[in-house]
Amino acid sequence: MSEHDDSARLSRRSMLKAAAAGAAVWPGLTAFPVWAADHPAIGTWPAGSAGDSVTIGATVPRTGPYALQGEDELKGLQLAIEHVNAGDPLIQAISPKTKKGVLGKTVKLAVADSEAKPNTAVQAQTNFITQDKIVLMFGATSSAVAVALNKLADREKVLYIVGISGSNDTTGKDCARYSFRQCFYGQTAAAAIGPVMLKAYGKGKKAAYLVPDYTYGHTVHQSMKDFLGKNGGWTEATAQVAPLGAPDYSSYLLNVANSGADVLVNINWGHDAVLSIQQAKQFGVLDKMKLVVPYQVPFLAREVGPDIMAGVYAATDYWWTLEDKFPLAKRFNAAFKAKYGYMPEWGANNAYMQVALWAAQVEAAGSFYPPDVIKAYESGATMKSTVGDVHFRGADHQLVRPVVIVQAKAKKDMKDPEDYWNVLDVLPGEPLMQAADAFGCKMGSPT
Amino acid sequence: MLNWANLVSQLFNGLATGALLALIASGLTIIYGTLGVLNLAHGAMFMLGGYAGWVVYQWTGSFALAVLGASAFLVIVGAILELVVIRRFYGRPGEDQILVTFGLGIVIVELVRRAFGSLSLTLPAPAWASGITSLGFMLYPTYRIALIGIVAAALLALYFVLYRTKLGLIVRAGIEDAGMVDILGVDVGKVFMVVFGIGAMAAGFAGAVNAPVVSLTPDGGDAILIETFVVVVIGGVGSFFGAVLGGLIAGEILSLTSMVDPAYSQFALFAAMTLVLVFRPQGLLGAAGRE
Amino acid sequence: MIKRFPWVEALSALGLVAAPWVLPALGFAPGTVNHVLIWGLFGLGFDILFGYAGLLSFGQAAFFGTGGFVAAYLLTVAGMTNVLLALAVGTAAAAAVGAIVGLVALRRTGIYFAMITVAIAEMFFFLENNPLARWTGGENGLPGVPAPSFDLFGLRWQVGVGWSMYGFLAACYFVGLVVALRIVNSPFGAVLVAIRDNPKRTLAVGHDVWRYKLAAFAIAAGYAGFAGGLLGVLQGFMPPEAFIFDTSGQLVVQTVIGGAGTLFGPLVGAAVWLSLRDFLQSGLNLGAAWKLVLGLVFVLLVTFLRRGILGGVKDLIASVDKRAAAPAPAGVAAAMMPALRPDEAFAGPAIEARGLTKRFGGLVANRDVNFSVAKGELRGVIGPNGAGKSTFFKMLTCEMEPSAGSILFHGRDITGHGVSRVCQMGLTKSYQINQLFARLTARENVEIAALAHARGPFKLDMLKAVRKVPGLEAQVAGTLALVGLTHRAGTPVSELAYGEKRRLEIALALASSPSLLLLDEPLAGMSPQERKETVTLLKAIREGRTLVVIDHDMDAMFDLADRITVLAEGRVLAEGTPQQIRDDRSVRDAYLGGEHM
Repeated sequence: MSEHDDSARLSRRSMLKAAAAGAAVWPGLTAFPVWAADHPAIGTWPAGSAGDSVTIGATVPRTGPYALQGEDELKGLQLAIEHVNAGDPLIQAISPKTKKGVLGKTVKLAVADSEAKPNTAVQAQTNFITQDKIVLMFGATSSAVAVALNKLADREKVLYIVGISGSNDTTGKDCARYSFRQCFYGQTAAAAIGPVMLKAYGKGKKAAYLVPDYTYGHTVHQSMKDFLGKNGGWTEATAQVAPLGAPDYSSYLLNVANSGADVLVNINWGHDAVLSIQQAKQFGVLDKMKLVVPYQVPFLAREVGPDIMAGVYAATDYWWTLEDKFPLAKRFNAAFKAKYGYMPEWGANNAYMQVALWAAQVEAAGSFYPPDVIKAYESGATMKSTVGDVHFRGADHQLVRPVVIVQAKAKKDMKDPEDYWNVLDVLPGEPLMQAADAFGCKMGSPT
Repeated sequence: MLNWANLVSQLFNGLATGALLALIASGLTIIYGTLGVLNLAHGAMFMLGGYAGWVVYQWTGSFALAVLGASAFLVIVGAILELVVIRRFYGRPGEDQILVTFGLGIVIVELVRRAFGSLSLTLPAPAWASGITSLGFMLYPTYRIALIGIVAAALLALYFVLYRTKLGLIVRAGIEDAGMVDILGVDVGKVFMVVFGIGAMAAGFAGAVNAPVVSLTPDGGDAILIETFVVVVIGGVGSFFGAVLGGLIAGEILSLTSMVDPAYSQFALFAAMTLVLVFRPQGLLGAAGRE
Repeated sequence: MIKRFPWVEALSALGLVAAPWVLPALGFAPGTVNHVLIWGLFGLGFDILFGYAGLLSFGQAAFFGTGGFVAAYLLTVAGMTNVLLALAVGTAAAAAVGAIVGLVALRRTGIYFAMITVAIAEMFFFLENNPLARWTGGENGLPGVPAPSFDLFGLRWQVGVGWSMYGFLAACYFVGLVVALRIVNSPFGAVLVAIRDNPKRTLAVGHDVWRYKLAAFAIAAGYAGFAGGLLGVLQGFMPPEAFIFDTSGQLVVQTVIGGAGTLFGPLVGAAVWLSLRDFLQSGLNLGAAWKLVLGLVFVLLVTFLRRGILGGVKDLIASVDKRAAAPAPAGVAAAMMPALRPDEAFAGPAIEARGLTKRFGGLVANRDVNFSVAKGELRGVIGPNGAGKSTFFKMLTCEMEPSAGSILFHGRDITGHGVSRVCQMGLTKSYQINQLFARLTARENVEIAALAHARGPFKLDMLKAVRKVPGLEAQVAGTLALVGLTHRAGTPVSELAYGEKRRLEIALALASSPSLLLLDEPLAGMSPQERKETVTLLKAIREGRTLVVIDHDMDAMFDLADRITVLAEGRVLAEGTPQQIRDDRSVRDAYLGGEHM
């Protein structure tokens, strides 16, 4: 494989030379197909993996309201790259063929602040593709960014591993051949948390919803409403749709308080979730109603505190106390805490797992050639993870993975300052998921 | 179907939200009226007031000291900014002032992010005002009720300074006609520094007393800044009473639209502002002819 | 003026062609360069609006987004295949929306205008994100925007990414630039600059300021829409944050950093801003601190580089290259356009006021003033301070509406017509306090006034050169010669002596060839020598027109005027020949009570 890489690199280099010499032709117009012996060049291949290192381009929010989650993702990513390059046993447990690096090449990281804006993320990744010839993109704390990068991945033929994105669309109607998602999503969250709510609160209840005004919020709202209505005869008392980053939730919460609901389902994300829950407490809403957070927000319990959170149900990708059940989780927690001084949240875990799973596919394919890597992803091979066995679904590139049901602990029950959630259940993912084509996923061609 | 209890609740809540907006807006309007500077760093100063209060609270455990400390800190920050930066901009076009304060806002927000991280911080309400009060038609957080009183007292104090002191006379003269102040034979430089300090203090005070209502994040001032502009424009740029009236109106708009369709509350705010600008450009209580 | 070689266009074309070979060496990624071009194009329109017409909008995102989403919708959902056509439709839609928004926003000026634009842009963002999400994709935007392809001499060019996309964007930018250059060098552009400098005077010399502003607003919106459409093409998807406040803010920031009023400023500003952003993050590895440093750099730039980068460069060149102002072209005959008016045949008084009254609240400035000036007469108006002379003048020129009474100009009732319209009819005035276009030269000042005469109140001759306006050159040269400023034609107003400014003030009024000219204290503040010159000037310009002059200089007035009207306490106290007034006892009493005489 490597000799093919070399020949391709040579021809590409001479082509660039010709362009740089100003040879009467516009540089961009000289897109002659460059043939390696077995594959035509595609995306950043083979240029990106021609040397003895490969680069991952990461765009996460580092400033603005989502900086907290963005920096957390980045930590998980950095730890994963460190482990891959060192051939850490944890990586080897997930990607058995890994020795040091990926296919022997050191992994480097290029980072840019996306400010949680799709356009900024696309712009930065585009530069990484042309300048750094990255072999892989990572990023997003919101589905808008994930969907934009999905499209970029398919267009540029560069693989993309999704960061935090809970929208059904990411592996649904906006799915992409070059994109893969590790975390679960709105529909699964509803299917996982719904039965827990019915069991805990009974049938025929009234629910109030706090819905952030974007696709993720609306889809989760719809999924929850449908599930609870169909399976438990629940009705909707009110749905308060609030803009992202609202500075105050008082008027929404008064409407909730006056709605006569039994349960408050809070779909808000990031600081919006923190603020709306704290204010719900101030307004006495949480004394009258039970709070449910369908999809746990990283750092939520730390920020809001156990006094308010105690008893709240949530579905999550990862919580560190899973280490009692999964040895890989224990290793991951130890390494993360040693490096960063606190127990990881699921955003960091997601980033770590994404890199580890990618390394496993590249090793399995034996090549960085993207269509081969995609084939490996789509093979559906079972892999180990920090939450048990997982595999990618070939049809929509969604990881089939367990969903963790947690309930927030009261202060007195916490065994450790970071022991915020009690793991109630680890549900197998497959039965929670819709059919792969139910959300309109249509994949493009790998080439 | 109209829910009367909810309507009354929302009317009251509009008053509470509006009072706070009025206080923040009054600082903005005093600075603009006297100095002619539209301070885009005002939201950042509001946020900084919250953090300053949080720091003092960590040291002293006293909410009152936290609020006082935050106010004092913001006076100093405001005065220094005026002395070092803003002062260079009086003779320059309005857009330069808008831009430099925009830049200062970014610097303040990012400095706070470096110092405190992005994890939100909480400043608890004072013990005497914690918990929930039943107002008959609804339950309302005790501290928010207290906040109406605190803000009203602050606005009264500001009114006293503006309308019952020599400094206030100068400031108001400046709002009417900047040239007048020169004629009065006052050290304009010093007055401007004090005015910018007072405006910053109003923001900082508001940030500190609002801290128990929200949780503090470095970006907490951004959304409030835009709402404050709306308040100032509705009330009349440069008018103290306009800021108060505008604040209350904006509070009610936000509260009442949420009953119809909460998603539209921000939209309604901007629509109201546009209507005011078209039909009464100087704002409800603004003096005509001032640009 | 001679037909110039289009140096700016040629050098720009050269620069755009050379960029792909030069910029990579400077560390620019093609993606960054492409975004710089889009911001630069976006900024061309904004600079016409802000740098030239002086209207600071903080809501350009509304049009950037509108154009972008219309084009993207056509190319994705609606299935249009012609990219250029979709871009054109997007541009037109943005310009049309801009015109509608302008109808509301332009009712106000200054900071209020800026605020309205913010509010409207925020509402647009909300509409895109909520009620229109079915068409715009909400916060996900519209993915799958295709790049264009062209058949160039039988070769098919499918625009790709990187430098290939650059080729397409550079061509678009160049077209936008050429059009913008034509606009700012057209009579239309000249009027925009006049509006920025002194909207009141622009109106007074007869331009329909409001319609010019509206046109500038629509042009800026069109450019924004074009750039927005290209953003979709470049990114392969139309991002929703095209609509957010940050987009408008970034545009303003980049324009000011680069230098407003230069057309190239936004491009330079974007290059600096975007590359600093890249450099701080990747080059210096500042991580999350990049924004703090960028904020500090920005504050320093705004504080110390007052006119932006290009403004600074211009100032530097100007200080090195201190050539004398170019002398006015010699040999142009002082052949001014005649003050021909449709109602020349009217034999009655040139102007007549009937029962003119003006109240300000309880205060009465003028009460029941009757006033009539015959054609060709030179009438003096005198009176002690506070007699209501200036208010009276303002009513005559329709700057101010009377509370009661009417004004007839050549027999036609012009009450409530507005200052711009009566100027077009041949009635104008020169101001007591100079109302000049401070940043323009003497020649350009006169040009602005002459353009109103030559082109009427409003004309969209955006692609025509100023020098091609028929008769303009002669009119300007003639006017300058008449007031004795020919040798100072190229001098900026700020460098003129006070007496010269006063004469230029009169020249502005003269340049529109009025048949009736009102002069408000033309001699005020002049040295005896300057007075003598100005009196001579007034004698010269009264040939063929009617003049009404207010002044405190009694000697000059008695020397000049055919008849004199005395106002006192807002009423007509006396009227008659200079001799009659001199002998009038009531006039003497009135003045003895005052400070003059």
